[in-house]
Amino acid sequence: MKYNSSTGFSRLLIIWGITLLVVAISLGLTLFLIEQSKQTVIPIAPPPLPVAANPSDTPPPPQRVNLFLLDPTALTLVPVKIERRLHTESTQRLRQVIKALIQETSPNFRNPIPRGTLLNEVYIDSHQTAYLDFSRHLTDGHIGGTTAERLTVMAILKTVFDAFPNDIKQVQILIDGNEVKTLAGHLNLSQPLHFFD
Amino acid sequence: MTRQKSNVVYIKNPKEMRVNRRLVHHPLIAMRNAVYALFFVVCISCIVDNGVAQEPDVHFIDADGKTIAEVPAQLKDETVYLSIDAVKQVFDPAMTYQYNHPRKRLTLRMKGKQLRLQMDKPTINIDPGGEIVTLSAPPVIIGQQPMVPIGFFTQLLPLFNDVEVIYNPSLRRIQMRPKGAWMPTETAGPQNWAIIIDPGHGGVDDTGCQASTGLLEKDVVLALAKQIQQLNKPREMQVYLTRQTDTKKTHFERIQVANRNQGRLFLSLHCNASFSPHEKGIKIYLNNPKGQLRFPSTIGQAPAGQRLKILAQANFLKQSRDFAADLQTELNFLTEIPVTITELPLIALSEIYMPGVVLELGYLSNAEDLEQLSNPEYITSVAQAVTRAIQRYISSANQSLLPTASEQ
Ligand SMILES: [Zn+2]
Repeated sequence: MKYNSSTGFSRLLIIWGITLLVVAISLGLTLFLIEQSKQTVIPIAPPPLPVAANPSDTPPPPQRVNLFLLDPTALTLVPVKIERRLHTESTQRLRQVIKALIQETSPNFRNPIPRGTLLNEVYIDSHQTAYLDFSRHLTDGHIGGTTAERLTVMAILKTVFDAFPNDIKQVQILIDGNEVKTLAGHLNLSQPLHFFD
Repeated sequence: MTRQKSNVVYIKNPKEMRVNRRLVHHPLIAMRNAVYALFFVVCISCIVDNGVAQEPDVHFIDADGKTIAEVPAQLKDETVYLSIDAVKQVFDPAMTYQYNHPRKRLTLRMKGKQLRLQMDKPTINIDPGGEIVTLSAPPVIIGQQPMVPIGFFTQLLPLFNDVEVIYNPSLRRIQMRPKGAWMPTETAGPQNWAIIIDPGHGGVDDTGCQASTGLLEKDVVLALAKQIQQLNKPREMQVYLTRQTDTKKTHFERIQVANRNQGRLFLSLHCNASFSPHEKGIKIYLNNPKGQLRFPSTIGQAPAGQRLKILAQANFLKQSRDFAADLQTELNFLTEIPVTITELPLIALSEIYMPGVVLELGYLSNAEDLEQLSNPEYITSVAQAVTRAIQRYISSANQSLLPTASEQ
């Protein structure tokens, strides 16, 4: 058969077309899979029951709580659902929620609270201001920068306001029992903070 | 052939897989692969012809950051070259030129001057006046067209008195602005502008964020602050730093420098950090205790002194926004990612009775930002951009102080 250059060229074109199509499909598939993995919120198994103060008390049923952690891109906060048997009393419940937040070590959702931070005490006053007293590690162990500092503070605020929509209006962060001006040198934490969505 | 559900791929017909595997070893496939390789080599050799490569376009930008023209560029001997038409397009639409082929001589006439260029020679004769300018690279012929090096724009055009040219080689951007724009003018009100530059953090305890290379925020911001002070020495304003050395300064001490010197503008310098290694870019922050993240309304019941401290910046929010916009315009020239402005309650700007802005220069947690922030040349370009933004702000603030026609 005589060689026809236009047939050869169109065959080359077809080969290139198919190659491009395969590349595009696999790229699309990869992006789709990435999107899927972003949206998946992995429910975390409820931890063992807290020891009841009075053995005769029947333990409360588990409740869902949203902890605000970093999504897999580590750029924004997302609610990650956990189940806890929560106290009915607000202060006790707040302590449980914040402890759950600072102790959370989900592999897919990075915690913006420096690992090793402890919660010393919590208190809710008559103005519906929650005072959260953390250990020094919250500031000393922080990576710094306005972006990261904002995400750390927002993770605490969002978690509190989501769990206590009616009981708590603002949050003040304390370190080792003292008021602080800032966590990492940028945000002003000298006052209680409120957050508008 | 395949269908995908969540993360599992199901294969419908395993026979098809076998057919495909057989094909892989077919001699025709080997030939096809050879054709691919050949095609690839041809493509590459088309791109790199005689050491000349097609480059990303050069963007010409006006004083407000708007693109005037995007001009195709060529790279030869590591120099960026543009066609003569680019001069016409961005500098003087009335420009004419003649090219003498045998003698390889190019004559340009623009803005009442005649420029004589010789191909492959870096010197340019300018008449009338007989001035000779030596460019960093010579004009050359590429694809039978005379082309001028980028230095023609950056070195030569500023000699035409009326323009200032700023070049960003990494982003291929050339900004052309009227010369002397935004300089404080004699007629424009008070000259005694005191600018406060606050290099954030400092000392052993407060290093700010730390990069993987060991670079510290406190050192980057101090180096930049000193450059800004140096650049402004010959100008008609005083620049004060809240710290001159690597020492710890309390917030109160910083405020004292600002308020004692009757500062009229406060710029706090920082480097950012993110939990994501991919986050990068310059960010500007304004102090607004009534933004999305805010102090409660009960602040009104606090003692007057405390209220004043917290809300002092509220009186300057409009001016702070103006300065932030000027910084944004100037810094956008340096970065690919647009500079953003965010309003938050900020400690660095609380209790300061003047317009103020926090400038986050880039992320030490990002490899590209880190590379730039480790480069003294980049720091100089940031210092120049900040200086231009300060001049721009002062100029418009002075303008607003001028009596209007009805008041005269
Ligand atoms: Zn900082």
